[in-house]
Amino acid sequence: MLLDIDSLKPIYVQIAEWLEMEILNGNIASDEKIYSQNQLADIFNVNPATAAKGLNILADEKLLYKKRGLGMFVSSHARGAIRSKRIERNLKQLVLELVAEAKRLDVGRDDLINMLIAAELQVTEEGSSQ
Amino acid sequence: MNVVDCSGLTKTFGRTTAVNNLSFTLAPNKITGLIGRNGAGKTTLLKMIAGYLLPNAGSIQVFSENPFNNIKVSANMVFVDENMVLPATMNLGEILESAGSFYAHWDHKLAVGLFTYFNLHPGQYHSKLSKGMRSAFNAILGLAARCPLTIFDEPTTGMDAAVRKDFYRALLKDFMQRPRTVILSSHLLNEINDILDDLLLIKDGEKCLHMPIDELKEYAVGLQGKEETVAEMAEKAEVMHWKKLGKDSVYMAVRNQFAEEELQKARLEGVAISPVAADDLCMYLTARNKGGIDDVFDRN
Repeated sequence: MLLDIDSLKPIYVQIAEWLEMEILNGNIASDEKIYSQNQLADIFNVNPATAAKGLNILADEKLLYKKRGLGMFVSSHARGAIRSKRIERNLKQLVLELVAEAKRLDVGRDDLINMLIAAELQVTEEGSSQ
Repeated sequence: MNVVDCSGLTKTFGRTTAVNNLSFTLAPNKITGLIGRNGAGKTTLLKMIAGYLLPNAGSIQVFSENPFNNIKVSANMVFVDENMVLPATMNLGEILESAGSFYAHWDHKLAVGLFTYFNLHPGQYHSKLSKGMRSAFNAILGLAARCPLTIFDEPTTGMDAAVRKDFYRALLKDFMQRPRTVILSSHLLNEINDILDDLLLIKDGEKCLHMPIDELKEYAVGLQGKEETVAEMAEKAEVMHWKKLGKDSVYMAVRNQFAEEELQKARLEGVAISPVAADDLCMYLTARNKGGIDDVFDRN
């Protein structure tokens, strides 16, 4: 489930990103306990060391903090930090690829912007119909 | 302290060298995948670790002792393969009942649970089981024995896809409850990929690669695009595999030593960059020529 084997990203990075999504969605609030390494290993059917590596990425970025003997908890600033990180890394990357593909297909700037507006409408509609 | 410590290990059978000057160590409580082509020396290596065979040269230490004829090693080790010899006069139920007296950490509840789950019946005899059922039973013995060193030599031979999946999940779940050193040999790397800590790849009896499985994913990249662009990139990296596609297009699997910016630049130049699946990578690394089977047909 969930994991994309064909992705260039290592499994532990994908687990870290999944955890970030859980925090971003508000599924795990700040100061709430996050999944343990064994829980993650069970969910994704991966080696616990791989799961621990995913957790450590977030801990290294101070998005999680450790309580001795209790496990890892979500930092208070985690949501905001994840959001700005995602804009900086993912969104900008996606836009770059989008522009490159448009250029390859000879799609002009105005057409591209119109497509973006149409896509935004679609996403809003899907969101409201749910 | 390492559980297995080999240095310069060599084993020959007559004129063939099965294992050649192999040195590596296995740390405790990790799952290591032993991968290699048919005849690469996997089984010979495992049998030396288990103490079934004596090496011709080099040294091998298991739990810091020579495993050959060693009571400490055999008491703490279980070796699961196709040819497990079990008493022919006992039925499966009786074998399970008596297994506890051989293994100090035997988990009878787990054994019975798996036994029922895999639809085995206590009245059956080991020699009368189908290939897949026999593998399943052997695997149950290997898991429930909970030995500090657990060796599975191609445990899934004959198992169907569902049973293989269940077995690997059972192995992972039991490993989390009771961590131990596991060596798992297989040629279906994609199936075991996710549950491994480390990978040991051998080719012609020699070590080809020994690294954490997480790093393997970044070890190589596949580049596909115009021949000149790809060839230019490949000049700086070690090429493991190449294949011509169409008129001017080529696919190459190369060692990933590129910076993210270089890959980004290539992507914008129209080179498709894809990960190399772990089992493809192992196939390329253990291949004898870079073009693979196509070379045989392209000879004329």
